[in-house]
Formats: sequence, structure tokens, C-alpha cells
Amino acid sequence: MAAPLFRFRRFSTRLLVIVLGLLAAALLSTYLLVTKANLDNAIAHIESRLAADVKVFRASIDFRKRFFAEGAKVVSRDWPIRTLYLQPQLDLKTLRTTIESYAARLNAPVFATFDVDGVMLATTNDRLTNEACGPFRHLIQKAGENDWEQNSDFGYLEGKLNVMIVVPLYAPEPNIIGWFGIAFPIDDQFARDLKETTQTEVTFTSGLTEESKRVLATTLPPDLAQQVAVQAPSELKADGQAMVTNLGTERYVTLYAPLELLGEDPARITLQRSLEAELAPARRLEQTMLFILLAALLAASLVALAVARGVSQPLQQLADHTKLVAAGDYTRRIELPREDEIGQLATAFNHMTAGLAERDRVRDLLGKVVSPEIATQLLQSDLKLGGEEREVTILFCDLRDFTTFSEKLPPTEVLALLNRYLDRMSAIIEQHGGVIDKYIGDAIMALFGAPVAAPDAPGRAIAAARDMARALDLLNRELSAEGKPALAFGIGINTARVVAGNMGSKTRLNYTVIGDGVNLASRLEGLTKDPAYGTPIIVSEATLDAMQERPAARELGEVKVKGKDQAVKIYALSAKGESRPPYAL
Amino acid sequence: MKSRFLLALLVVTAVTRIAAAPATLTATVKDAKGAPVTDAVVSLIPLEAAAPPPAEAPGEVAQELQEFLPYVTVVQAGTKVAFPNRDSVQHHVYSLSKAKKFELPLYSPGQKESLVFESTGLVTLGCNIHDWMIAYLLVVPTPWYAKTDAQGLTSVTAPAGRYRVEVWHPRLSAALVQEITLRSAETLPRDFNLTLKPDRRIRRAGAAKSGGYR
Repeated sequence: MAAPLFRFRRFSTRLLVIVLGLLAAALLSTYLLVTKANLDNAIAHIESRLAADVKVFRASIDFRKRFFAEGAKVVSRDWPIRTLYLQPQLDLKTLRTTIESYAARLNAPVFATFDVDGVMLATTNDRLTNEACGPFRHLIQKAGENDWEQNSDFGYLEGKLNVMIVVPLYAPEPNIIGWFGIAFPIDDQFARDLKETTQTEVTFTSGLTEESKRVLATTLPPDLAQQVAVQAPSELKADGQAMVTNLGTERYVTLYAPLELLGEDPARITLQRSLEAELAPARRLEQTMLFILLAALLAASLVALAVARGVSQPLQQLADHTKLVAAGDYTRRIELPREDEIGQLATAFNHMTAGLAERDRVRDLLGKVVSPEIATQLLQSDLKLGGEEREVTILFCDLRDFTTFSEKLPPTEVLALLNRYLDRMSAIIEQHGGVIDKYIGDAIMALFGAPVAAPDAPGRAIAAARDMARALDLLNRELSAEGKPALAFGIGINTARVVAGNMGSKTRLNYTVIGDGVNLASRLEGLTKDPAYGTPIIVSEATLDAMQERPAARELGEVKVKGKDQAVKIYALSAKGESRPPYAL
Repeated sequence: MKSRFLLALLVVTAVTRIAAAPATLTATVKDAKGAPVTDAVVSLIPLEAAAPPPAEAPGEVAQELQEFLPYVTVVQAGTKVAFPNRDSVQHHVYSLSKAKKFELPLYSPGQKESLVFESTGLVTLGCNIHDWMIAYLLVVPTPWYAKTDAQGLTSVTAPAGRYRVEVWHPRLSAALVQEITLRSAETLPRDFNLTLKPDRRIRRAGAAKSGGYR
């Protein structure tokens, strides 16, 4: 498994990073998606509006063309012009003034008359020569060939883009005696008028090659207009081309639409709308959204921190508490007035601490009631009835004449003396790895090799017995100093296979051993009372056999044990290891 | 032998006399689709002898119900043409054609103006106050001419000889010209196929065509 990228030492950091990370990812992707959708929408919207603007432009051109054509048609049926043509020789000067008045009537920028072959006779624009009227002638020729009532197109007059219209001079219709030509320029004023209607930046450009690209008319400053002309694509498409272009510092959606021309340098109308202006409302929304987004992140961090602290602080408290409990302090309790899982955890922890304290107390008490080894085994294993057969060395130790002894002293002193005696003896037994099975009045029953098996159990028992004899010497010296009578005991030790285990009822158990071997140990202890043996410690042969190194012992003969056919060899063991009794009290 | 010579002389005399008898050109005028063309003018301009001077009978282009009547009129050069107003309104007849530029300023119903047309050529007649009114007066240098009827048929009778046949129609860009020789007492059938422009006469009462033109 790959190692995690980060290891969080604090839960609050982890929660904060995860919550903020997820939230930030979700919010940021939403924000980006919305921003992109806004941009796409704005571009699509502008493109459709620009397409409509081109239609507005064409409609406006068509309207003006129709207006001038109809006007020219009306004035062409004017009688004064016919009277001029009635004269044998056409008076061109007078004709010129006549068309001036017509131009004024129609508010036509350029007005000219042509003969049936397209030769210019008179014009309101003195700079316009007959040669410069090529586009007019082209229109007249085409209209004549096709028998059209009028003809019009974009064309260049004196290098400037114009819309040109020609209508025939009838006398009467359809008898053509000449032509009227009207032209209106596509100039900056026209572009401004169109901008007035459409709210669109308008630029007319010509040229498809880099050298020939130039601005014809525009609503833009000259440098920006030149930029538009240069950015124009190199080929013309009938339905125009829309694109996003940079103009100055702003982004514009730009539509290049071609204009029909008389086979001359192609021209096109360029309509532009500011993308930023279109996006402005969306941008405001995006800003608000960003603000809400950051506020949400901030709020989420605060909430996450609060939640993290709400979790990590009690956890820290619990951790500290656990250390105390581990150190053995069961007195503390955690105060967490909460209903949630952490509150439940604290309550459970308190219960656990209480439970541990209880168990400890029980174990303590158990240790006092039973030996620590038995207590441990009791606590470790399931308590159950029944036991196992194993080899155990049993040591019985009983005080001599304790009944008569106790009559000489008050009961409290008897008990104090007994406890003093038992305390020392028990300590020695436990020192040697023995287990106090029980106290039977002033008697002690101790086990070696149970419940924990020990290979040198017999040796330990014998060592314990010797130490007990010495300890009794010491105790007697103390007692005589205190002016109290001395004590004497007898010890019987036997080693045998017995049944060891918990015995008793289901509710109350005792760990003990039972069997003939136990009885024998008790009998051996009883034999020490017999002056014939003259020893306080009697050991069975079985115990000595079980030892790796047999100690010096005086054989006392054989005894017949009740219920057993075979006699058992017994030995006397001196307190210091000698075969002769060392003591005489 | 003598009698044979006489016979030959008689025959020649007879031929000469027959040559003096008139011949007839029967013309069938159709358009490109084969439909008969009415109001086509077929005129025979003599190539060998001078045409005789015009007869005394004057031509006439009347105005009735705000239209010229007839639509096409043919006269020999030098003929006097009357323009009687048989309408209920006034008219102002004019022409800006090279053959004759003139105007007959507004004149009332019942009045009759007359003009002599000396130059040959087409005179397109209009009325200054009724744009839709149009008529054609074709002035030809010959007394031998005729107009086709509704079936596109007409015939011109002229003395035998060589002629330039000119077929003209208002919707024809240029007159159709052919040379023919008419033999005495002979009837020469001829078919003329014309390529006509569309009829562009405007309708009255504002029913002017709209659309279809740029």
C-alpha cells in the first residue's frame, strides 16, 4: 500500500483540510462552470445579435435604396425635365441645375444624369468625371440588358464606398430616353447612424490581402479601425464570420459580413460588440458568487474547526485520562455533559475506570484471601469446577498445643499472636514459591507446584520448611523478650499426584488439591507430635525421591497410612539440615 | 418564221403588261414561341424606284378612356396626323423622339390637334398627365405598309419590283430587315419570326408592377 501523502498529527487539521478541500473543489468547479457558461452564453448572444444587426444594416441600405429609387422615379416623370429634352439641343447647364433641384428634393448626396448609352451628362458633384462614373455605367448596362426598372449596388466613387442606384428616364414608360443615377456614401456618418440604431461598433473595410486592407468608414478611433481591417479574415464567406477579437484592451465579438460589390476590391461590414459590456451583469453575479463562495469557505472552516475541537478536545482529555488509568489512578472521572457518541464514550470510560478500580480491589482482596498465584490463575482463567491431576508437594504446618496456649492469654492477644505467626510463615512460604492453600485454625496448608507447575517444587518446600523453623526460633526469642510463652510447630511434607482445581459450589469456589497425598502430608505433620520421632519436620520418601539432589535426612522407618496397603518411608529433617534435632526448647 | 417572231413579241408585251400589275406580300408574323404577333408593322421600301408621295388621307391617333387609340399607327412621311381628344378629360400629348419632338399642351375633350410628320422613324407618344398612356407612330418612307391582325397576318400590295421589307414591333429591339422581289400579279407568302422583349406597358390606377426588379 502506498504511503499516504500527508500524515495528520491533529484530527482538527485533518478535518479542516478534508472539509475545506472538498468544499473548495465543489465551489471552485461550480464557479468555473458558471463563468464558462456565462462567457459562452455572452458570445452566442452577441453573435445572434450581430447577425440581426447585419440584417438591420441590409434593411437600412435597402430602405434607402428604395427611397432614392422611388424618388428618382417620381422626379423622372417631372414635366420640366421633359421640356428640356423637348428642345432640339439638350442644354446641359440647365440640366445640371434641374438635377440640383431634384437632389435637393430627395436630399440625395450625389445626383447625375446619363444618356441612354450611360454617358454622363450632368452631375451635382463637379469632381465626378464621366470616367469615374464606371460603376454607374455598369449598373445602367445591366439594367438595360435585363429590362430592369432600377438597379443598385455597392461601388467605389472617387475611391470611397458608395451605394449607387440607377433608374431609367421614361418618355413614356417603357421608352427610355436616359438614366438618373443617385449615390449615397458609406462614410463615418453612415456608420455612426447605424451605431445609433444598433448600439454596435461599425467598421467598413476593404481588401483581402495585407497590403490592400484599409478602413473605408468606422465608428472607432482610427488606430483601432485599422486593427479591425488587419484582423479581417482573408477570404469572404457569404454568411459572414464571427470571432472573438481583442480591440485595444477589450475583448469584442466581431462579425465580418461581405458586401455585394461590382467586381471591384471586395468590401465588408464589420460589426462589433464589447464582450466585457455584455458580460458585465454576469461578472457582477460572478463577483457576488465568489464572495458567497469565500464566505461559505470561511464559515465551513469555522464550523469544521469547532467540530474538530468538539471531537479532539474530549479525545485529548480521554487520552490524558487513559494515561492516568494506565498509571493506576482510578480515582479520576471525566466530566463531559454531552449526549453524543463522545459523551457515551466518556460515560463508558468512566464505567471502565470504575470497573478497573473494582477489579483491582477484588484482585487485592483476592490476593489477601488466596495466594497471588491462585488469584492470578483465577483472574486469568474462566472460573469453573473440576480440576486436573498434577504432581504437587503439600506442606502441612500446625502449632503444638495451641489450644492450651490460647487459654493462657486473652483472645485478642491470641489472635494477634496467631496473625503475627501466620504472617511470618506465609511470607516464607511465598518467598519460596509456595502457595497458601488455606489456614485451618492455627494450621497452614501450602502447595508447591500448583497452581503453577515448578520442577523443583519439593526442594522449595523443604527449603521453606527449614526457613520456617529458623523463623520460629527468631519469633520465640522475640516472644520470650516480650515475656510471652514460646511456640512450637510440626511440619509434614509429601509429594504426590493429586487433583488440583476449583472446588465448591457454582457461586463459591476454592482452589485446592485433594487426594491421598494430601492426607499423607497431614498425617506426617501429625507424626511430629510423637516424641519417638523427635523431629518437627517429617518428609515422605516420595518428596526426597522427587528432588534432584537428595538432602541429608534421617530415616524414621515406615508408617502405614490409613486406607493404603503399602507402607511409606518417612524421614526427619532438621531445621538446619542436620540429622540431629538442633533445638531444645 | 415571221409569225413565230410575232408570237414572241406578243409574249414579251404580255409579260411587260403583267409586270405592271401589282403583287402581294402576305406576311405571317410569329414570336419565338410561335404565337401570332399583333400590331407588327410590315413596310415595303422600294429599292429601284422612288416611292410615290403620300396620299391626302391623314393619320389619326385618338385619345379615348385615357388610352391612345390605336396603339400602333403607321404613316408615310409627310402625312398629317390628327390627335383628336374623344375623352372626357384633358390630355397633353408629347414625344421626345428624335423623329419628332413635340408637345400638344393640355387640350380639352372634343378638340383636335394635327401635325405633319416629315421625318421617318419612330415617334413614341406619351401623355404628360397620364403616365400609362403610350402609343407608337411609325413614320415610314413608303405608302406600302400594313399592320398584323390578331392572328399575326397581314398583306401588302405593291407594284412588282425589289423591296426592303422592314418588320417592326414595339417590343422589338431593332426592326427585322429583309430584301424581297415581288413579281407581277404574284402573291408571295412570307413568315417572320420575331424575338420580342417582355411587355412592359404599365397598368393603370396604381396597379403598377412591384417587385421583380432590382
